[in-house]
Amino acid sequence: MAADSDPESEVFEITDFTTASEWERFVSRVEEVLNDWKLVGQDSKNPLQKGEFNSGVWEEKSQEISFADFRFSVTHIYLKQEAAPSDGKDAEEDAVPVAMQDLLCMKNDFPPRAHCLVRWYGVREFVVISPGVNCEAIISESKCNLLLSSVSISLANIGCQVPVFVQIQQKWRRMYAGECQGPGVRTDFQIVHLRRVPSQYNHLSGLLDIFKSKIGCGLTPLPPVSIAIRFTYVLQDWQQCSWPQQPPDFDALLSGEVGGVEFGKLPFGACEDPVSELHLSATWPHLTEGIVVDNDVYSDLDPLQAPQWSVRVRKAENPQCLLGEFLSEFFKLCLHKESTEDLLGKSSLEDEAKDNSDISHALSKLTEPTAVPLPKLSVSNMVHSARKRIRRHRRADESPLSSDLLNSILLYLFPDAAEDKQSEGTPNKGVYPNLEGQLTLKKELDDANLFSQLKSAPLDSLTYRLALCICLVNFYHGGARGVAHLWQEFVLEMRYRWENNFLIHGLDGGPPDLRCCLLHQKLQMLNCCIERKRARDDGRKGTGVEKKGGCENGRLAPQSASLTSASPGKSWESWSDSEEEFFECLSDTDELKEVQPTEQERSASGRTKPEGRLQPHDKLTLLNSDEPLYIPITQEPGPMTEDALEEQSEVLAKLGTSAEGAHLRARMQSACLLSDMESFKAANPGCLLEDFVRWYSPRDYVEEEVTDENGQTVVRGDLSTRMKIPGNMWVEAWETAKATPARRQRRLFDDTKEAEKVLHYLAVQKPSDLTRHLLSCVIHAAILKEKEEEVAEDIPSVRRSIQQLVSLAGKLLHHPSPDYKKLEDLISQVAGVEAVIAHARSLKAKFGLGKNDTGEEVEGLRRFVISLLDEPEVSVIDAGRSYVGSIIHKLFVSAQRLADSSDEGILGEMEAALLAPMEDEVGRTDDRKATAGGAVGADFPPPAGREILLRTCVPRPAPYSKPLPQRLFCVLMKEDFRLAGAFSSDTSFF
Amino acid sequence: MDDDVLTTLKILIIGESGVGKSSLLLRFTDDTFDPDQAATIGVDFKVKTIAIDGNRAKLAIWDTAGQERFRTLTPSYYRGAQGVILVYDVTKRDTFSKLDNWLNELETYCTRNDLVKMLVGNKIDKDSREVDRNEGLKFARKHSMLFIEASAKTRDGVQCAFEELVEKILQTPGLWESSIQGQGVRLSEEPEAARGACGGVETVMLP
Ligand SMILES: Nc1nc2c(ncn2[C@@H]2O[C@H](COP(=O)(O)OP(=O)(O)OP(=O)(O)O)[C@@H](O)[C@H]2O)c(=O)[nH]1
Ligand SMILES: [Mg+2]
Repeated sequence: MAADSDPESEVFEITDFTTASEWERFVSRVEEVLNDWKLVGQDSKNPLQKGEFNSGVWEEKSQEISFADFRFSVTHIYLKQEAAPSDGKDAEEDAVPVAMQDLLCMKNDFPPRAHCLVRWYGVREFVVISPGVNCEAIISESKCNLLLSSVSISLANIGCQVPVFVQIQQKWRRMYAGECQGPGVRTDFQIVHLRRVPSQYNHLSGLLDIFKSKIGCGLTPLPPVSIAIRFTYVLQDWQQCSWPQQPPDFDALLSGEVGGVEFGKLPFGACEDPVSELHLSATWPHLTEGIVVDNDVYSDLDPLQAPQWSVRVRKAENPQCLLGEFLSEFFKLCLHKESTEDLLGKSSLEDEAKDNSDISHALSKLTEPTAVPLPKLSVSNMVHSARKRIRRHRRADESPLSSDLLNSILLYLFPDAAEDKQSEGTPNKGVYPNLEGQLTLKKELDDANLFSQLKSAPLDSLTYRLALCICLVNFYHGGARGVAHLWQEFVLEMRYRWENNFLIHGLDGGPPDLRCCLLHQKLQMLNCCIERKRARDDGRKGTGVEKKGGCENGRLAPQSASLTSASPGKSWESWSDSEEEFFECLSDTDELKEVQPTEQERSASGRTKPEGRLQPHDKLTLLNSDEPLYIPITQEPGPMTEDALEEQSEVLAKLGTSAEGAHLRARMQSACLLSDMESFKAANPGCLLEDFVRWYSPRDYVEEEVTDENGQTVVRGDLSTRMKIPGNMWVEAWETAKATPARRQRRLFDDTKEAEKVLHYLAVQKPSDLTRHLLSCVIHAAILKEKEEEVAEDIPSVRRSIQQLVSLAGKLLHHPSPDYKKLEDLISQVAGVEAVIAHARSLKAKFGLGKNDTGEEVEGLRRFVISLLDEPEVSVIDAGRSYVGSIIHKLFVSAQRLADSSDEGILGEMEAALLAPMEDEVGRTDDRKATAGGAVGADFPPPAGREILLRTCVPRPAPYSKPLPQRLFCVLMKEDFRLAGAFSSDTSFF
Repeated sequence: MDDDVLTTLKILIIGESGVGKSSLLLRFTDDTFDPDQAATIGVDFKVKTIAIDGNRAKLAIWDTAGQERFRTLTPSYYRGAQGVILVYDVTKRDTFSKLDNWLNELETYCTRNDLVKMLVGNKIDKDSREVDRNEGLKFARKHSMLFIEASAKTRDGVQCAFEELVEKILQTPGLWESSIQGQGVRLSEEPEAARGACGGVETVMLP
């Protein structure tokens, strides 16, 4: 067997090897392991199905054993199969072991993916003993023999029929020696491995010669040898079709002149060709000796004529894909611990003083055409908002972002800043102008609840856009520093809007949407504050505001109390609808200016003058007068973001479940009830709790018909029992409530305080925090991008992967503090999907598949290309004779011409060759028999690998022995020659 | 004591004012009925640990006020709930007619779409019934909910309702494992889906 000349083998001198005890111990360990795995005795198996090696599941288990202090790992590898029905046939005592039968089985030759021993020997189950991790290889022949005989003894001792291999020589050489034993039969597995193909074995006839001589069968005539052959051709030259993807124009982005439109786009695709090679295997699955000629001068084996073709593609190891890189760079931001101040220096926020001097300069900059990326803008109007504040403090050279770039980004985020002043008063619709309808496709793909699944923010909302900008700035414009700079400007804009009562664009109105990410909620919260403040300011400006309607607008009136009329999700937030959004809730100083009802007025009417009425109730009048019952203008309680809510529910929960706890809890939440009672009292002087309850909780006012003393039926009403419990919270609150209209009450929602809280929260977020906040939006955008790209390619497996991505991402992103490692994993999965799409693009380009091509043939080709993505190997139906086959053929032909002409060094001819028609080429192949070496001018290059599989069943060692399976698998490559033989012999009759 | 608690589940009780939400909860947690139960203000909160199939689950139950006016506050508590009990009063048709609105509400504010919903028709001890059992059943079937009729006063069906809800939550993959307290303890391999904790609950959820 292998030459024993390696000097290193001397190191591996284990004297203990020869001591009987160590050796015996090893043998019994091997037996123990095989016993543990129940690999003993005859095991009936179902016959193998065609292709089962590929479609089935392979299992593997390992155990460590040692020989003296040398460790081995024993691995059992097997195809998972249903247990064969034991129909009493196991009586066949002398059946040969399954592995021996497998040697001859032709249903799984050349499996696309399998252990090399499976490929070489066709076995479905075997055991490998190989040196443990960090252990030296078994080089010396004596040691190999020692190991092998140990195995042999173990197999015989326990009657194991599974073949056992020992790995010898260096691992990379994949050399194994093995044995399989059955009753009276044995197969020896041997491998020869050389660096070069010896010329006498460089063809079929030579290999047949060794096979026969190795069998050494004395029978004449020898039964025919069955032959299977596979030649594999490699295509590397794709010059005829250049890589379709244009890398994005980084320079254009860098200069910041591309305009806001670009900021919403994520880059996508591979920068280099993600498909490196195409392997075509031409297979002759069933030849018989004598039918085919392949020797040193002539060969019948023309790949074009081969009955079977199969193709596989080699994908580039780690293709550089833009979206994936974009995401992972963004994700890496979360490792930055620096605060914004650390990154930008302290001064930037403070020196407001210099501001004014800069404005004129800034404005002049604005009038330069480059700074106006959106075509529709009218420059003169671009003044009112943050524009002024933008390029103030830092000079361009010290800022991470140039002012032009920053301008374009801010315009993208806040397009309203550039709109006409008139439109400013219109209610905030929360939607960006749809730029040239480019969003429509995205909108279709954006499953309505994708944002809530991912806890991100609605497609194209401000938060969503911000996420994209942060991502982009991080990638192209200065990393964490750029991000810090942008964020600082963003926060300034938020403050500016708060201070100047400009609503924030691009957010849905209403209270914070708890399905969105926290940052989105915070921004919505700020908008709520701005809205309330505007309402207050408006209320202060106008007099007689009560006429203008109140926030509740009679929602509590019985007839309109029904929820049905209101659209879901909106019913509770009517306060945010701009027309009705305010109520007069003035601060304490304003209260002084209010005209207090004078003594005269009070005495004149005999009661207090009503205040803060919204409207009279449709049906009800007060119980102790004929006055209609008035619905008061009420205060709205404040909206909350999820963190505040969490805090509040924690506080409430902490009060415990005792009666006192419950009481305290109710009291803590009674502010709104008290405020409503006070408003009610103010609007309905002289009213009773019963009046209040009839409006507020009609079910707690029970009316029944009773017959009075005069025999007449009258309706008598009373509070429900639960309202009458002495000292219950309602009664208590009613008693403390003073008649005060909502506008003079303490505010339930302190918008100033809440806004400052939000602004402070925003200001202290570091770039790394932003990653955490915005990751869900970025993932959302990435998934949408992939959906969009997939639509163009139509790849079912990608659609499935995207589904899985969404559910995985949903799980991770909903977690309050997601696992870093898992997120990283998620991002690499997103990148994986991108790579598949890139592969598809590359392959389609190579196979000349245009988007608009149709027809049956083209469809077939398209299916073929798509399956190349998912499957390790795809067979070409009808091989070289099919349409797909002809396309592949052409690919090889053009590559060959290219190679030929460049050999001759004539560039001009290369072009000529490319342009030449190819039809005649196909016809000519017949008369140009490709020799094994591959001739110049042939359609195909010389095969990169040739595999030849020889099988027969003959008696060995003597002509009267039992006929047994013999097999030789030959691999011929440029720098690798391997013969893997399995030779069986009869051990009883020789 | 909490060591062997499998998970903490958040459960929500909603429905019109006066249908008996607080009374049902009190019956479940303290096994009493208090005719002097005050109308809830905002939200109330109770905890109870129960054993289902040998696994202990801690329930954090949020009892919301049905009062129209408080509903601006309560949706915030829908967040993160794994189960919801929607209650109506079988003696008041209008409380049944409003169920659709409550489901809308739920749809809008709850953060997970796989939460388990249970419909409870309360006050079956009273004889002024206005809503037939079949109507409740039909509604529940239409909206893939569990359904039971109960009485907080006579304790009929109350224990059962909560147990069934919890069992269903524990059977819903991904619904409870992700709760922070869930330490990844496995339930017994395959819970028999159809078998209820007790006989009275109609499992009208789609399989
Ligand atoms: N007969 C009878 N009365 C009940 C039952 N359940 C509750 N009640 C009574 O119905 C009234 C309202 O019950 P609550 O439990 O306070 O109702 P709720 O749904 O919590 O009401 P809100 O807190 O306002 O939303 C009380 O007077 C209870 O005594 C029941 O099963 N049978
Ligand atoms: Mg209650």
